[in-house]
Amino acid sequence: EDAAEESNVSAELIAQRKRLVDEWNAWRARIKEDVADERRRRGKKLDSEGEQQSEESKEEIE
Amino acid sequence: MRPILLQGHERSLTQIKFNREGDLLFSASKDHIINVWFTHNGERLGTYNGHNGTVWTIDVDSQSRFLLSGSADNEMRLWSVQTGKCLYVWEFPTAVKRVAFSEDDDQIVCITEQRMGYQGVVRVFNINRDGDGTNQSKEPVSEFSPIGSKATLCAFAHTPGVILMGHESGKVALFDANTGDEIQSNERAHMDVVTDMQLSPDRSYFITSSKDKTARLHETRTLVVLKTYSTETPLNSAAIALGKPYVLLGGGQDAMSVTTTSLRQGKFETRFWHKIFEEEVGRVKGHFGPINTIAVSPKGDCFASGGEDGFVRVHHFDESYFRAKPYGDLEISD
Repeated sequence: EDAAEESNVSAELIAQRKRLVDEWNAWRARIKEDVADERRRRGKKLDSEGEQQSEESKEEIE
Repeated sequence: MRPILLQGHERSLTQIKFNREGDLLFSASKDHIINVWFTHNGERLGTYNGHNGTVWTIDVDSQSRFLLSGSADNEMRLWSVQTGKCLYVWEFPTAVKRVAFSEDDDQIVCITEQRMGYQGVVRVFNINRDGDGTNQSKEPVSEFSPIGSKATLCAFAHTPGVILMGHESGKVALFDANTGDEIQSNERAHMDVVTDMQLSPDRSYFITSSKDKTARLHETRTLVVLKTYSTETPLNSAAIALGKPYVLLGGGQDAMSVTTTSLRQGKFETRFWHKIFEEEVGRVKGHFGPINTIAVSPKGDCFASGGEDGFVRVHHFDESYFRAKPYGDLEISD
């Protein structure tokens, strides 16, 4: 039955699924890079602020 | 799939949450009690006693040190996970509908209900992690009232200082925590109340469920809708599976099957949908009433559902679940 069902899955549908997965993976790759960039930026910021807590809170008020 | 039934609540469940390791499951209920359970065998480890109303919401920090809860008794409480002791109580004019920790555990956000002449208010507090946790500040570092429709859900978004909100009108929006300004919004994310909102591990996307019978996947930064899962029943909860391209949806029962199904059969189902293809792939039944809350273990090896029937069900995935490739050999990023 499984085999029968599998053969019913048209080449068209398979191609469409492939397209959807490629689209998703490309989006994830882009976003993951953005997230990593953001974290690096924040990591740096946090390091320099870590020593001066008072400045950090001042910045938040602004 | 081996289900474990967690019996201990006397009324319906409102929110369940796994800790980061996935070995503990926290459950909040209308019976005023919060329970914590061992995920692997369903044994109750303890309870958190003190609220005098429905506990609407809970969250646990990434170290499993602090538990946060919000209740209809207008209180938000901070608890020691290990001892069950209440460490701090914040009081508000109205019920606390949602609480959440920040990614670094150093802040919390909560939303109080818009009611009886009070606006709904979002407040962010710093959490003092030094000492025994009892020395918290009463005053929020920031607070604002979201404009427009009543807000019911909140979480820290993808970057610090940005709060993600879900609204009764179906809107989702991003707010600047410091200024209260709306940064981005999607007024028509849903056509009815947004009932749940859960973020992906890196917070770059999130899922929402709604009474409009759909669940949707959104990109956090832009609030662009990526995927829509259209069901036949109002949804109360939606969760993102880990390690597998699925989302889990829970809610009421199909209008169609109401007449043909006996309540005693436990037919209320958690639906598994393919995250990318927007197709239903399977259902897990067992609850005797609508499913109110779903959570997936951060390890991806089990999920839990909390029902209107007062039960929590934990399902550990079989080997076949991990082996199964219903759509062939497609590599899909988490």
